[in-house]
Amino acid sequence: MEQEVERYRKPTRILHWVHAGAFVILFLTGLVLFIPQLGFLAEDSWTRVFHRIASVIFIVAPLIYIPLNWKATLRGIKNAFSWGGADIGWLKAAPRYYFLADEKGMPPQEHMNTGQKMWWSMVIVFGLIFVITGLIMWAFKTVAPAALLQWMVLIHDVAFIATGCMLFVHIYLSVAHPLMRPLRTGAWNSMARGKVSVEYAKSHHSKWYDEVSKSVEEKS
Amino acid sequence: MADKAILYDATKCTACRGCQVACKQWNENDEVIPVIENGVLAKNWGSYENPPDLSPTTWLKMRFTEVEAGGKVRWLFTRQACMHCTDAGCVRVCPTGSLYHHELGFVAYDKDTCSGCGYCVEACPFNVPRLEHNVLTGIAKMDKCTLCTTPGLDRIAEGWEPACVKTCPTGALKYGDHTELVTEGNKQVQALRANGHSNAYLYGDKELGRLHVMYVLDDSPAVYGLPVAPRISAATIAWQDVIQPLGWALGGLTIIGLGINYLVAREAKLTRELPGKKEE
Ligand code: SF4
Ligand code: SF4
Repeated sequence: MEQEVERYRKPTRILHWVHAGAFVILFLTGLVLFIPQLGFLAEDSWTRVFHRIASVIFIVAPLIYIPLNWKATLRGIKNAFSWGGADIGWLKAAPRYYFLADEKGMPPQEHMNTGQKMWWSMVIVFGLIFVITGLIMWAFKTVAPAALLQWMVLIHDVAFIATGCMLFVHIYLSVAHPLMRPLRTGAWNSMARGKVSVEYAKSHHSKWYDEVSKSVEEKS
Repeated sequence: MADKAILYDATKCTACRGCQVACKQWNENDEVIPVIENGVLAKNWGSYENPPDLSPTTWLKMRFTEVEAGGKVRWLFTRQACMHCTDAGCVRVCPTGSLYHHELGFVAYDKDTCSGCGYCVEACPFNVPRLEHNVLTGIAKMDKCTLCTTPGLDRIAEGWEPACVKTCPTGALKYGDHTELVTEGNKQVQALRANGHSNAYLYGDKELGRLHVMYVLDDSPAVYGLPVAPRISAATIAWQDVIQPLGWALGGLTIIGLGINYLVAREAKLTRELPGKKEE
């Protein structure tokens, strides 16, 4: 059997999938108000009921995760917002890599590469924006000043567009991009089973792999 | 078809509220009157104006304004109901197309398809639509004046006047051709001005691309408590004319971009792996 390293611990994977499920429901029940041709699906408010149920899951899941995994949380947040020279190198090399399958220009990456960090920091920032604007609309519909509610809708919409587009990219790059196949080698595996092959870790996240292999004793 | 409209002449109105009652009766919007043992619990809130506000079951209401000027108290009456704007904020934002322009120009409404989002409530410069909603679940429906075009209760399709106009005993309400009513309204305003009401004004002719409900006022709109120069809000414009189209474009480009990437990258991968010749 291939040698593997752990990439995401179980609580993290559960959070990912619960949050992903909630987000997809939120995305689809929001999409019906975004595309005029789909508007008829929103008739009689039932999409809003699902939107609200999903939003509760979206808010509560991380609230449960964070106190139980506060070390991982802190590390994750720190990772999301620490950017450096390797990121510029990644951005430069990305087009050749993702279009031409040319890995040469890729600088070594940490636990998260630049693209993943981009998505992950967006999830944090826009997640908070979604929750704040959403809760205001939920609680103060028809009560708050009309202008305030209108700006909340607009900001919610901006967050929706940004994360919606990136959601496509995220799913595509995790499971559909030609380089990500077969699935059992890389990104998919890391979230589905929590492990990636040593091969994959070395080639895609060599800085991280060096760290883990150094501290292999205190692992898990 | 030429637009139709309602002309309301405040100087002929006695505030009998016949229109308010006729509206409720025709549109089957019964008011729930709280009852105490021996009669109706009337609530005095210091005004003849009743009920105090529009609601999902009150689409039209007379507004009473008291103004003091030059030691004289004046008691002014206006309608409070949908103005059936040509440039209607509510139509701009409605995501389900439930609010739309009737072929005669005014803003009709299909309640069945309403999602209850309340966007129209926030976008209306006249604060007209009312949302009945459950704060917990979010299940909601909007209601407003449809100028008597509610399906099943459509007077206009029958060629009749709206219920409010039909019932008005003083001739303060008229229904007819939009352009003709503008002419008539202007004539009335001229007459008022000649009579010493130098601020007389035809409200609706210039507002929001011309309203389909216009008021003849013997003073400025501000005195009557009407919005002076009502406008589509900046948020509505930024949202509907900038953010939404930008979103459609970005979403479309993302999907197209990923499709192109897939084709190119697959090609590249295959060429690179040529010796092995095995994909996936
Ligand atoms: S008054 Fe308000 S509800 Fe009526 S058409 Fe104008 S924007 Fe729409
Ligand atoms: S509340 Fe109903 S009528 Fe008003 S904008 Fe939303 S869907 Fe349209």
